[in-house]
Amino acid sequence: MIEFYNVSKVYPSGTHALNGISLSIKTGEFVFIVGASGAGKSTFLKLIMREEEPSGGRIVINGKNLSRIKRREIPYLRREMGIVFQDFRLIDKMNVYDNVAFAMRAVGATADAIKKRVPYILELVGLAHKAKRRPSELSGGEQQRVSLARALVNNPSMIIADEPTGNIDPKMSYEIMKLLNAINEQGTTVIVVTHEHELVNSFPGRVIEINQGKILRDSY
Amino acid sequence: MHWHCKKRQSRKLYNMSGLGYLIKEGFHSIWNNKIMSIASIGVLFSCLILTGAAAMLSVNVSQAVENVGESNVTTVYLKNEVSSLQAVSVMRDIEKIDNVAGCEFYSKEDAIASFKGELDSVYEYMQGDANPLPNAIKVTMADLAKYDDTIKEIMKIEETDSYSNAGEVAKTLTRISSLIGNMSFWIILVLSIISLFIISNTIRATMYSRRYEISIMKSVGATNTFVRIPFIVEGMFIGLVSAVLSILGLMLLYNILMDLVQSTIPFDAIPFGSVAGVISLCFIVAGVGIGTLGALFSIGRYLKKEGNEILGW
Ligand SMILES: Nc1ncnc2c1ncn2[C@@H]1O[C@H](COP(=O)(O)OP(=O)(O)OP(=O)(O)O)[C@@H](O)[C@H]1O
Ligand SMILES: [Mg+2]
Repeated sequence: MIEFYNVSKVYPSGTHALNGISLSIKTGEFVFIVGASGAGKSTFLKLIMREEEPSGGRIVINGKNLSRIKRREIPYLRREMGIVFQDFRLIDKMNVYDNVAFAMRAVGATADAIKKRVPYILELVGLAHKAKRRPSELSGGEQQRVSLARALVNNPSMIIADEPTGNIDPKMSYEIMKLLNAINEQGTTVIVVTHEHELVNSFPGRVIEINQGKILRDSY
Repeated sequence: MHWHCKKRQSRKLYNMSGLGYLIKEGFHSIWNNKIMSIASIGVLFSCLILTGAAAMLSVNVSQAVENVGESNVTTVYLKNEVSSLQAVSVMRDIEKIDNVAGCEFYSKEDAIASFKGELDSVYEYMQGDANPLPNAIKVTMADLAKYDDTIKEIMKIEETDSYSNAGEVAKTLTRISSLIGNMSFWIILVLSIISLFIISNTIRATMYSRRYEISIMKSVGATNTFVRIPFIVEGMFIGLVSAVLSILGLMLLYNILMDLVQSTIPFDAIPFGSVAGVISLCFIVAGVGIGTLGALFSIGRYLKKEGNEILGW
């Protein structure tokens, strides 16, 4: 559950990225965030992850007021979220398996848990057979699936994806969206920022359009 | 696709047992950053060796002071014509002087006897009336700071002729030893700061070379403690290696130097073995301490600035 109460964000440079946003995203929803370049979509996600703090208003995630949580609680907040980047953010000196295992190690998972969980998740995204490959040996769509596997491996309650299909071809994009949809069907909240109208139209879900830092449209 | 039913169970499996992994990561860093690591080890090594050399010098000097020493005992020689009987009354006079804690008569016979064994021919030749040595009195002073005044008082007595300056030598040696002590304090301070600086830079370099990984770790919810551990391991290991190398280096250097010195000036050097334990302990504590501190400095700064946010987007 994500709640925004009259949230605004002004960057130190003076840019008003968000102006009084209020909304609520319930657990298990599938939400597209759309809008022109510079509209404030990424800023919206950064506020959820608490990579940025709002200049005004209140953000509550799973009952926790983000303005009240202590710095050392931030990592635990982030474990609730799986994040997918447009540019995949994979470590090329590690193979696919280790890229996914890395996310579990980073939160202190046991070797045993890693050994059980990683193959399972790789199977899930259809990449079990490429576990020993390096990311650079994979196609864009495959790399994004690795990054999705990494986002999923710690069992987050929500997936946050900023233009996950921005760097891959349309056919692969469709596959990624299908995967996100399947993940959503299991109860995980999914928030996807995208430019691609065709994708938005091909999948059911709530669509929030941001324009100049304000919500222009919010519909199903 | 039923990954959610495993949720509770897998949560419980998260703990700090990834420690082995983190320690391994620390060693990887050292290896991937060989040149900087070697530079850090070199600087810390030099720092420790110099510190150790200063300490060994200091220890030897104070040992020498003790040897020369009985340092507050001064031998006052009486004029040649002063007999043993007269000497006793001189001794009474000396005892009355302020700051004199005690006197002991050291007859010319005792003096010549000290040659026995070492210079037997001299000893035999100089028996009885042939003994050219004067009677003397060994004076113990209560406070060496008043040495000069006390000596002046003693020398006012007519029968006194001269005095041995063992006290002077002791004073000079003590002065040298405290000078070494002072100088080494500054040298050690400056070198520690340099070592700290170099190590924290080495670790900062590692951190920058791994900023991408760190940002991914932070984005999946790694705690700062967790991010820190490999770098602390790196710092500690650099410190430990430097300490071990400098213990061996110091031992080698000391033994070679002492052999050299002793072949020219005979003196009782302190064997390295007798201080090896203390020195090793100090070196390891200092090396690991500086390494850890250097790591903490650079990580603290990094996590406050760049590392707190998820890099780029
Ligand atoms: N760190 C920052 N410092 C200053 N200004 C920023 C920062 N990040 C974003 N902005 C500005 O805030 C506004 C909103 O940016 P944001 O990245 O949220 O847009 P966006 O909707 O994600 O755009 P795009 O579709 O191009 O990714 C833009 O004008 C941008 O220049
Ligand atoms: Mg953006």
